Amino acid sequence: MHPLLLTFLIIGVPAGIGLVYIFVRGTSSMRRYIVTRIALTLPMVLILATLVFFVLRILPGDPVTSALGPKGSPEVKEQLRENLGLSDPILIQYGRFLGNIVTFDFGESLVGAHRPVSDELGERLPATIELILPATVLALLIGILFGTWAAARRKRASDYGFRLYSVVIYAMPIFWLGLLLQLLFGKVLGWAPIAGRIDAIVGTTLDRTTNFIVIDSIISGNWTALGSALHHMILPTLTLGLVLSGVFVRLTRINVIETLQEDYVTAANARGIRKHAVTYRYALKNAMIPVITLIGLQVAILLAGAVLTETVFSWPGMGRYLVERISSRDFTAVQSTITMFAIFVAMISLAVDIIYSLLDPRVRY
Amino acid sequence: MALDTKVPMGEPEAMRWASELEDVGFVRRILMARKWYHADWWFVTISAVMVVGFIVLALVPQVFASFSPQEQVGPRYLAPGESPDVEALIAPVDSGFSTVGDLAVGERISVAVVMGEPSSEAVRDESDRVNAAFKEQGIDAQVSLRIERYETLDAALTGILDGDVAVAISSSKAFEELAENYPTLNDVGPVAPGANTRSFPLGTNQLGQDVLSRLIWGTRIALIIGFSSSLVSLFIGVPLGLFAGFTGGKIDRALTVLMDSLYAFPGLILAIAITAVLGPSIFNVIVAIAVLYIPTYFRIVRGQTLSVKESLYVEAARSLGAKARVILSRYVYPNVIPSVAIIFSVNVADAILTGAGLSFLGLGLPPTTPDWGIDLARGQETIQTAWWLITFPGVAVMLVVLAFTMMGEGLMEIFNPKLRER
Repeated sequence: MHPLLLTFLIIGVPAGIGLVYIFVRGTSSMRRYIVTRIALTLPMVLILATLVFFVLRILPGDPVTSALGPKGSPEVKEQLRENLGLSDPILIQYGRFLGNIVTFDFGESLVGAHRPVSDELGERLPATIELILPATVLALLIGILFGTWAAARRKRASDYGFRLYSVVIYAMPIFWLGLLLQLLFGKVLGWAPIAGRIDAIVGTTLDRTTNFIVIDSIISGNWTALGSALHHMILPTLTLGLVLSGVFVRLTRINVIETLQEDYVTAANARGIRKHAVTYRYALKNAMIPVITLIGLQVAILLAGAVLTETVFSWPGMGRYLVERISSRDFTAVQSTITMFAIFVAMISLAVDIIYSLLDPRVRY
Repeated sequence: MALDTKVPMGEPEAMRWASELEDVGFVRRILMARKWYHADWWFVTISAVMVVGFIVLALVPQVFASFSPQEQVGPRYLAPGESPDVEALIAPVDSGFSTVGDLAVGERISVAVVMGEPSSEAVRDESDRVNAAFKEQGIDAQVSLRIERYETLDAALTGILDGDVAVAISSSKAFEELAENYPTLNDVGPVAPGANTRSFPLGTNQLGQDVLSRLIWGTRIALIIGFSSSLVSLFIGVPLGLFAGFTGGKIDRALTVLMDSLYAFPGLILAIAITAVLGPSIFNVIVAIAVLYIPTYFRIVRGQTLSVKESLYVEAARSLGAKARVILSRYVYPNVIPSVAIIFSVNVADAILTGAGLSFLGLGLPPTTPDWGIDLARGQETIQTAWWLITFPGVAVMLVVLAFTMMGEGLMEIFNPKLRER
């Protein structure tokens, strides 16, 4: 099976099952919301893809010249331009571009073995997902835990400490945090590997069916590979997760403080319910709604962060692929990778919106 | 980001803020912050001082940086605080010698050097220089040396103790290793007096450039990128937002859809694409980053324009026959300015971060530029041996970003007292 399709199935099937469940059990207004929201995703993908296409075309640079360098002869240039379809009228190019997205056929890479770009992306996308999923979970855990903690101890030392943490971590360049972690845990303490997804020797023993190393090693029962993969995941996940967590700490704190001032919290306090229970059961639950929305808004930071984290840790994901292919001036690969990122953004915001609608039944179109 | 300036009614404190806020203008609001927010004024002050400091550094880096950022000025990979290896004068503690000039004692003096080291040339050059200076000043003195060559430094130092030679010239590092065995001998200073002024507080990098000087010059690049790209997005985003919010209709909807999708897209990735097509130059980096932040201004300004447009006082003005231009300049514009100032400050910080990210990836800036991102990328190659090369540029980025973000937050508190309740 095509690796890219397989990746989409691995992510899509559980999501689809969840969706069907919501659809069967949910109210009719919820059903209507979900249908509308899914319908709205298509134009969003279309707009983002169009944006990518025109940004790459409008700018006064020439992919053919940059691919061949200044010494390329006019005939060779013309030939490449013909092959890339860049000499056609722009609308025909645009149509073909959209067609390629629908069929997941992005053409062939301009460098190396000239493999189809979609094959290469199929190997890279799982790596990126394996990085950002645990990082998001980590960021949420830290954010909710510390944010609530700070809110419950408002204006005390620990509150100021967590506020400082969220400001400082926001100001840190993510690649620098990665470098510091490499220095500390990789070099000084020697606890974790600082590059790659899996130990090179262990990696050769693993059958890559899905390209999700964790899934692959569980399927094949290769526990050494699983251990190595998890070990390699520690530092990149920590880097991305910590940087994201700053915003979550901050937002959770603000929202919990706000909900702690609500009447029902006062009522709960008046009834003598323990403070701990009030904070975590009453306030936190209601404060979570805006935090979930924030995940949607953080997608941009998440993916940009993933590009930098992948570069620092030599993580063979989409971000590193993009940077590599820019250096080797592979126009086809660059355009397709950015388009994939656009689809990714649309999908994540769709998922976040649906989760949000489950948590807050007031949201309806 | 909630930027409404609504004040909760019924609280006397808040009422007072509300009335005072209406009375004063933009600049006075900042100056009055201390009076209104007692404890938190230092927040703005500290960040403002930092921002001003960085701006000064960026304007006149040559005043603060001791060396050129692009030239080799010392040995490679010198750790912070470590002094560069110089040819030093080793003399007995009680001899009273501290420079080559002190060796002019009227008679020929014997000096020990180690074979194969540049020590003898260093001391000859220096004694020539000193003698020339004596002549010029009319002092009747002359340094006259007899160079004794020893196989090892140990032998040379023993020679001093035995009284065969008066002093020795050696690399200061080599002496440091042996110093314990010779308690009566001292490293009294470098042979060439100019050598000791070259100290590198933050060390040197893989090209022998001074890390501190590169950091200081890097401020200029960072602030140029931060300010110019933010200004470009401001001058495009704000008018577009005013226009879209004020006119409404189909143009508004089209612009909003465009801006929303631009906003949703990961900025760094778009910037990567743009700089990849445009090629490396600081101008192209500014263009790429400016494109990313147009939607930030657009969204806030459009939202505020919409809400101001619906307010009663604008309706009143319109019914009195005010033209669109007057409504925009008198009512909409003043309401929008404070939030634009806040976004601008935070935006500069974001732009600097994005710019550093771009140059870390090796895109955007020419590789010789003294830029923090480039320094960090190069430092990663030697992370195992040279910790200082990745530490200090990162601290610099963080401090600049922190200063601008904190200033934005401080401004936000000033213009939106309600937030302080949080």
